[in-house]
Amino acid sequence: MHFEVHLPFWLEALVAFFLLLGAVFAFIGSIGLARLPDFYSRLHAPTKATTLGVGGMLIASMLHFSYAQGSLSVHEILVAIFLLISAPITAYMLSKVALHHQSPSVQNTQGQDLPQQLQQEWHRERIKSKTDKPKLPG
Amino acid sequence: MLLSALLILPLLGVLVPLWAHQYGRTRCAWATAAAPALALLILFLNLPGIADGQVLASRATWIPALGLEWHVRLDGLAWLFALLILGIGLLVILYARYYLSEKDSMARFYSYLMLFMLAMLGVVLSGNLIQLWMFWELTSISSFLLISFWWHKSEARRGARMALTITGAGGLFLLAGFLMLGQVVGSYDLDQVLAQGDLIREHAWYPAILICVLLGAFTKSAQFPFHFWLPHAMAAPTPVSAYLHSATMVKAGIFLLARMYPALAGTELWFVIVSSVGMATLLVGGYFALYKHDLKGLLAYSTVSHLGLITLLLGLDTQLAAIAAVFHIINHATFKASLFMAAGIIDHECGTRDMRYLNGLWRYMPHTAALAMVAAAAMAGVPLLNGFLSKEMFFAETLQQELLGGLSWLIPALATLAGVFSVAYSARFIHDVFFNGEPIGLDRTPHEPPRYMKIPVEILVALCLLVGILPSFTVDGLLRMASGAVLATELPTYNLSIWHGFNFPLLMSVIALIGGITLYSQRKRLFLFHSRFERFDASETFERQMQKFLAWAVSLQAKVDNQSFQRYLFALLSLALLMAATPLLDLYHLEGGRELHPLDGVSLMGFVLLAVGSVATVIWHQQRLVSLLMLSVVGLVVSVAFARFSAPDLALTQLAVEVVTVILLMLALFFLPQKSHPDSSPSRLVRDLGLAAVFGGIIGSISYALMTRPLDSISHFFLENSKSGGGGTNAVNVILVDFRGFDTLGEITVLGIAALGIYKLLLRLRLYMPASDGEGRAWAVERHPRMLATLSQSLLPLALLVSVYIFLRGHNLPGGGFIAGLVTAVAMILQYVAHGVDWLQPRLQHLKYQRMIAWGVLISTMTGMASWLFDRPFLTSWFDYLHWPLVGKFEIASAIAFDLGVYLTVVGATLLILANLGKMTTVARPQRQAEE
Repeated sequence: MHFEVHLPFWLEALVAFFLLLGAVFAFIGSIGLARLPDFYSRLHAPTKATTLGVGGMLIASMLHFSYAQGSLSVHEILVAIFLLISAPITAYMLSKVALHHQSPSVQNTQGQDLPQQLQQEWHRERIKSKTDKPKLPG
Repeated sequence: MLLSALLILPLLGVLVPLWAHQYGRTRCAWATAAAPALALLILFLNLPGIADGQVLASRATWIPALGLEWHVRLDGLAWLFALLILGIGLLVILYARYYLSEKDSMARFYSYLMLFMLAMLGVVLSGNLIQLWMFWELTSISSFLLISFWWHKSEARRGARMALTITGAGGLFLLAGFLMLGQVVGSYDLDQVLAQGDLIREHAWYPAILICVLLGAFTKSAQFPFHFWLPHAMAAPTPVSAYLHSATMVKAGIFLLARMYPALAGTELWFVIVSSVGMATLLVGGYFALYKHDLKGLLAYSTVSHLGLITLLLGLDTQLAAIAAVFHIINHATFKASLFMAAGIIDHECGTRDMRYLNGLWRYMPHTAALAMVAAAAMAGVPLLNGFLSKEMFFAETLQQELLGGLSWLIPALATLAGVFSVAYSARFIHDVFFNGEPIGLDRTPHEPPRYMKIPVEILVALCLLVGILPSFTVDGLLRMASGAVLATELPTYNLSIWHGFNFPLLMSVIALIGGITLYSQRKRLFLFHSRFERFDASETFERQMQKFLAWAVSLQAKVDNQSFQRYLFALLSLALLMAATPLLDLYHLEGGRELHPLDGVSLMGFVLLAVGSVATVIWHQQRLVSLLMLSVVGLVVSVAFARFSAPDLALTQLAVEVVTVILLMLALFFLPQKSHPDSSPSRLVRDLGLAAVFGGIIGSISYALMTRPLDSISHFFLENSKSGGGGTNAVNVILVDFRGFDTLGEITVLGIAALGIYKLLLRLRLYMPASDGEGRAWAVERHPRMLATLSQSLLPLALLVSVYIFLRGHNLPGGGFIAGLVTAVAMILQYVAHGVDWLQPRLQHLKYQRMIAWGVLISTMTGMASWLFDRPFLTSWFDYLHWPLVGKFEIASAIAFDLGVYLTVVGATLLILANLGKMTTVARPQRQAEE
């Protein structure tokens, strides 16, 4: 496959724009991952900003290769679907683990009483599941 | 071809009983008998040619470069033995039908028996020494299986082990002897070896060859001092004793002596060894047979004794003695097999074989008693029976010897003594069992066995009588035929008549008869005398020696292998270091002449990440989760590096492997302690660090040296030929499935075996779910979060689609069965993680990973073999282009079927390992099936 295709200027500009947009988002996401104060807020950076960043790059790639191959490039759509499925789920799972581990949070993070509530709820459920166990006959 | 059928028929016969046993025991016996009966028919069809002295042969090339050839060779001697093997085999099949009880597995017994028949026929019909040896070892193995048929008895297991050890060791000597013979003659072909007798006898290696071959023959035929395994092999079912340990297998050694007679006999060495061993065996066997209270024990020692007699005859080095040997082979097979069968009947009807309790059976089973008495009389050498004739010939030959000079009278004297023993133990067999009062303490009243159980005995006893009374009408032709093949020259004249007039042999016979009966009548004193000797049990001594040997081996292994993984690694790396560093010392310049590429930022970044990841793994090795994450950084960078250096296939594979590995390690970490041991001692730390540093340095130097030199490898060939030769533009995939398809086949087989091995290990493993994580927190309440479960479920079809896509395009674009398999496996594992085993188990109950592996390997192998149909070598691939409407030009390659096999094996193996490791603490954990 040849990648060295000369694009018309407007398309090249568009591709460059989306690449840069994606890069900026990814960069912001990375800064956020490094700088945000606690786990809960830090989680937003890679899952939201970086996903957007990758999305920008995918659009750029789609434009470039659709032109280069002369037909619509659909790989990127598939990549985007996988990304849009996996990123939120990952974030969801990670936050669940953080809540379970009672990861400390800074004052400004919202939902300060959520861990407390969850712990109580889980405690109730544990007791319930223990008493629910079928008793041995006799 | 008809000759090869003699071996192919019993081979098919091995499978027949396994299939036929469901239709009832009698039908199973009939079905099993079909193959040997057909083979017997073929044997008789070949009789006219053999009787004319021809040697029939059927050859096919096997591995010509090594002198190996499939060569079935039928001459007079082989014909005689094949007749014994098939004829007595058929009788034993009939007999065993009634001998085996309902509890015994008939299918297993008959299968082993046919396997043995195949092995034995292979030995006698082989025209190539190596082929002969192969079948020789097969007789040892099948006899091991038959002796241990009642494997719940410790004596059976012991007896089987002993027989296998002794005869197996002898077999190795035999192989050594054959290899030397092949070197001397320049061919393993039996015809050539037999024709080069003089060359062999004059060669410097002759003594070594002779001793090796004789060791093989003597161990097999239970010659002194290796005779002790045979009585212990009597733990086998009686049909086995009748067949293997009297009529056929123990005669294999004798057969070998007779077979090699033209090539090896005729020297002083042969005479001294063979005749003295034969004489010792003859006397030792005869003496001990007298004192055995066990019916089969008596027969076993008498077999040893008679085998010694035949060996002695072959060692006497006159042509008439060799003829007498062949004659006695026939006679011994008939009377001894019938005696064993009679002993089996007595055991079957009385529940014991101890002659101290068995008495007076004449009243209870007159028919069987009559048969057994005739056979025993033949064993003793009573006139008008076949044993008498061959014994007369034997006595006559001993009188002809002058080889011991002034002491030559010793040979006939000792022969007469052996005759006395023989008569005495035969008399004991007859008198003690059938007369001598009433049976003692039997738990049942003995009676005649089923009608058909006696038929084999009747046939054999009738043969004893026929041969004994009318020798020249019955056995003469057969004897001439077989002896002609042994001697390979014109036969001397001999006379098979019953009456030779009053002469010395007759006198010796009379002395033996009278002496034997006198000896038996004085048995009480004899037993008293014998009981004063120290008791010696060969089985226990042997077992003790084996235990000692085993203990020694275990202690030796413990010294080498202390189960320390660090130590293995140290040894492995040190060796690799040594091998890799030595050639480097010869290298003049480390740097080759090639121009270096300029360093760019991305590559540099990759290197830095790689180095940081590796070092971080080491630094945080005590926090296992962290070090695992660092390790995955290394893996990720490696796969990115592959992608960067234009190896997308490798990048994809590496990525998928990385994912699977991390999941596997996470699973393992779940069960392992969260923190590793404290650090090793400083000295060891220094040692390991030093080794690692030196090793890294060496590998770095090698890589540098290689990469700075101009590359000239086979890869150009693959790149140029992948399209024209393999029909695909993706050279990596074409190499995997076509050019080096055989490697891939081996690799997936190994992968499948490894997965099965891990599965087997997991069966034994007892793991318990930790009650909490490392910090003491309880596990989360929600085991399988709804969101993850739902989404991963919707991800499965997508992932399968991707793997199909990757699979199909693999031949031309990055992809292929291996990567597709890994993608599928990862998607499936996600389901396990997201839903849990309880949810998945009922939905996947038809998906058996073991079967998937088996199918995968099978499909790949079959694809490879399909090319045989077109007369091409294994794994030749085929491709063509079809024009489909709408789709356009479409390529079909046989390689895709091969790749499908790869795909299935990879999916099956990965999931077999991961899913079962993940299931360890659930009710679905792998469990051993209940024993049958």
